[in-house]
Amino acid sequence: MTKDSVVHFALSVVGKDRPGIVAGTTGILYRLGCNIEDSSSTMLGGEFAMILIISHPKPFTKSRLLEEFRVLGEDMGLTVSARTMTPDEAEYRAPEGEICMLSVYGSDKPGIVYRVTKELAERSINITDLNTKLVGKKGEPVYVMMIEAALPEGISVDQVSAMLEEIRKELNVEISVRSITPVSL
Amino acid sequence: MPAQTILQYPHPVLKKVCHTVTAIDEAIRGLIDDLIETMREGPGSVGVAAPQIGVTLRVCVIDVSGSRHGKDNNHGLLLMVNPEIVDRSGNAVMREGCMSVPDYTGDVERSTEVRVRFLDGADGSEREITASGFEAVAIQHEMDHLDGILFLDRIVSIKTGLFRRKNYK
Repeated sequence: MTKDSVVHFALSVVGKDRPGIVAGTTGILYRLGCNIEDSSSTMLGGEFAMILIISHPKPFTKSRLLEEFRVLGEDMGLTVSARTMTPDEAEYRAPEGEICMLSVYGSDKPGIVYRVTKELAERSINITDLNTKLVGKKGEPVYVMMIEAALPEGISVDQVSAMLEEIRKELNVEISVRSITPVSL
Repeated sequence: MPAQTILQYPHPVLKKVCHTVTAIDEAIRGLIDDLIETMREGPGSVGVAAPQIGVTLRVCVIDVSGSRHGKDNNHGLLLMVNPEIVDRSGNAVMREGCMSVPDYTGDVERSTEVRVRFLDGADGSEREITASGFEAVAIQHEMDHLDGILFLDRIVSIKTGLFRRKNYK
């Protein structure tokens, strides 16, 4: 099957967590003959969220896809949305360059995510994964953020660490950066 | 000897438990040469195990001396026949990828130091070395191939471990 003969969608399914969301969603996709090409699903504060890249042989439309999800969405209280991807977008490109992990943590305060990610964006550092979590005691909440990012050519892990020095001081947070580029064996 | 094509999963040989080598003869020496050639050919490759080129024998070659992670701590080219880990210590997670499982990587926990006993493919003598760091990881990864184990079987977490923890109240 050539890539021109299939249509790709970015599908998201979000709702209050309960058993059966994944089975319900993938059951519909299976019956429709959709391929799940990439997906990530997780629970966040009692909500379960699925993001899937799916494909289906042409002709197939987004409205048909969403129509198939209407009943499940109503039954399970899910918000389902889809975006049709261009053939160009559907062509997967792994991020190039060194992959690094940033650990950011400190007393909770507004702006931690924004300030750090803005700094990364301004240098074209591509975030590939990001998780945040509020942890710690009630009266003393600690904010934890983990970022995986691909560094563009010419930017080193040490440089990333140095460029975040201002934010460390200003927000009084700990930031460590280390390379996690996969080793090929 | 020509470099061989690296087999990729789902080739069935990659999930086989390999046979013990009974004698280091011409055929085994030829296999070792093929493995070395194949390793040298692969960009950035630091090891190849016999099943990766379709041979179900307990033979692997490893050389991390040319890699960024292993260049300061290694035993050079290792030709391992019937390798066995006799002791291990420490644990560390490293993100691994494998030529037999392209386009995917995962965090794998390995011992940071291993003591390995093997027949040296160079002269047939019994040898024991203690490897650490990246070389230890490479040895464990290649030895896993001899038991039909891929790094996919050892991925420790799909997410940062921190978020896997439950609340203990």
